[in-house]
This record gives sequence, structure tokens and C-alpha cells, in this order.
Amino acid sequence: MSRPLLSLYRLDRDKLQELSNKLRELLARDDRAAISALLGLGEELARRLAAERWAVGLMLRPDEDPQASPIFASMRRVAKRAALEHVWTSESPALEGRLRAYDVLRDEPDIADAIDRLLDPVRLPWFLQRPGGTGGWLGDDQRETLAKRLDGLGPALPDEVNAFVEALGGMEGDALVHDRL
Amino acid sequence: MLPVGFFDRAKAVFGLQKDTPASDSDAAARAERSDGRKNKPGRPPLPEVSGAASATIEDVLTARAAGSLDEARAILAAIDKGQGLRTVLRAAAALQAGDEDDVTKLLPLVQKDSPAWQLRLQVAAALEKGPERDALVRRAVKLGAPAWSIAWLRALSSDEEERRAGLVDLLFEDAALARTVAARDLAIADIKVDNEAVRRYAAFAHGRDVIRRFGVAHVVALLGRVDERSA
Repeated sequence: MSRPLLSLYRLDRDKLQELSNKLRELLARDDRAAISALLGLGEELARRLAAERWAVGLMLRPDEDPQASPIFASMRRVAKRAALEHVWTSESPALEGRLRAYDVLRDEPDIADAIDRLLDPVRLPWFLQRPGGTGGWLGDDQRETLAKRLDGLGPALPDEVNAFVEALGGMEGDALVHDRL
Repeated sequence: MLPVGFFDRAKAVFGLQKDTPASDSDAAARAERSDGRKNKPGRPPLPEVSGAASATIEDVLTARAAGSLDEARAILAAIDKGQGLRTVLRAAAALQAGDEDDVTKLLPLVQKDSPAWQLRLQVAAALEKGPERDALVRRAVKLGAPAWSIAWLRALSSDEEERRAGLVDLLFEDAALARTVAARDLAIADIKVDNEAVRRYAAFAHGRDVIRRFGVAHVVALLGRVDERSA
């Protein structure tokens, strides 16, 4: 199995929050028809959701659960469409390892901290978290600062990191990184 | 032996391992407390408990279930380390027995128990829905209870709609804990416990379960005294 590649997205936090709030409200009301509509579920998946005791019960299942997995995929698809704009995908499966462990980066605490935040899935909404997956986000200011700091280290960094720095610095707004969206 | 099972870990969180040797200073402190009790004029001493140093809260609950309230108090006095759930139960048992001297001595320790919101929510979780429970939740919120803890409490409600809404809140506040609570407390099928959240789950749920078995009314009364003292 090939290692996943990190992708960079422009994140619209307000839109993601709006989607999250809507989903939360519908799950609390257990309005399955509205949840199916929000997630664009087909007839079969909508039937599956309707058959549950509570819609939230299905959302609590593991990512790989055959009943829930297509619904999780729909949620990610809807979230991407609503709040994420693809900016760049790395060509190198080594990028995540470099970001997490390359000594030149780790020797700079502020850089290491910002990278760790960008790769920390706990900071993502639950429906964008995937088991074993990598993901996280940085606000616009933090993204810009990180890109500048990394750019200053340019000659000391491997090519795959420099390509990431170029993409991070070349975009505008909040940044979200993920390897399985 | 390292604790490996769920209950072992729960006990480890609360320092309840049966085979944990008591330190010399603990033993001395217990002896001193015991002597003080024996010497109190006009009051019969609590019964001596053999092997009290290796006793656990489970022994306390067993004694209480058998109606041996004095024996349960004696075990609590022996195993109390001056903080946490054991101190809370010891103070609640003293209150139940009308031993104001012990209550007065223990109240400051219960009052400084940290985080203060946790005990209120554990007690609230052991209560049925009602004004007493609501008051404890309000107090816990004032004391800084995080959103996930309130969501958890709602997820344990006897009211089905509130339980569902609480579970949804918990999913959005702390998805790993939501899965664990759904699997452990609500027994919802096909949901897996999240290993990362089990420790936090154990820390909260163990206290709730012990308080329920101990007798939640006595702990509620104790918290009333704590709050009077804080006012």
C-alpha cells in the first residue's frame, strides 16, 4: 500500500463552522431526512440512516465500518465542497516524515510547534479526522509566519519541504493540510 | 505486576491498587488519627479493622452494603490519604454518622479537591434527573466544568431526547470520549471504545459509580456543607 500524500487546502473557517453547526443541530433533532439532504445521500444510504435508532449512533461508528463508511465519505465530500479549496498536493510521500522529524526544523521550537499544529488532527472537526490520517490547520497569520520562517531555512531543507514552503507561502488565508480527504 | 486491565487502570488513576504498600508516613498518620479517635472523650472508638492498609474502596462498599457502617468508616479512615474520592467518602460517612468533629476536620480537604467541578458532576451523574441534579450541574459550570463534561452528563440522562442531544454535543466536543461513552455507558451496538479516551472515561465513571453505590444522598449533603463553607 502506498503512503498517502499531503495536500494543502485553503480553509474557509466560517463555512466549515456553519456546516458543523448545521450537522450538530440536525443530529440533535435526529432529523434524518434533513441530514440525508445535507450530506447528499442517495436512496440506499438514506434508508440506512433511517433504519438506525439514532442518526448519531451511525456517526459514532469506526471509519472502516461498512454501514457508516460511505456516510463519512459523503460528509468529507460536503465539507470539502463547502469550505476547502485545493491548493497543492505533494509529489513526495516523504514530506510528512521530513516535517515531523527533520532536525533543521525540529531545532527551531517555533517552527516545530507550528508544524505540529498543522499536522495535528485533534484540531479538526471529528468528521474530517481519519484513523491513522494526518491533518490540521493554521490561521492566516500563523501560516504566513511559518512560510516565512521556513523560507529563511531554504537552502538547508530537502526539495520536498521547499516545494511545500512555496505552496504554503504562495496561498492566501487559513491553511488546512490533510492526507486523506 | 503492572496494572493491565480496565479496572486495574481505573484503580491506578485513583491510587486504589490493592497491593500498593502504604508508606511509613501514611501508616504513622493513620495511627495518629486512630489514636485521636480512640481518645475522644465520650465517643466509642470505631472498630479495629485487620489488614486495613491493604483495603480498598470496594471493601468499604461491601461493608456498607452489609449494614456495617462503623466498619466502613474505619476502613475509610485507614485508607484515606487526605485527598480524592476516599476523603470525600470518609467525610460523607462521618456526616451520615453525625460525627461533626470528623466532618469539620475533613471539610477543608474536600473543599480543596481538584478539579472542583468533577465531584459535582460525578454526583450529578449518580442522581436521577431533577432539581438537585440541575443545581449540581449549575454549580459545576460555575466552577469551570468543560463543555465535554456537561455533554457527557447529558448523554447519561434518563430522558431519551436529552441523552441523544448530549451524545451529539459530546461527539462535537470530544469525539473519542463520545465513542467510549456510547460503547460503555449506553451500550450502543457496533461502536468501538477509543483507547485514548478510556483513561479519562475511567477517571470520571469510576467516581460516579462508587458514589452511586456508597449512597449519593450522603455525598450531596456533604457538598451542601462544602458550599455553605465556601459562601
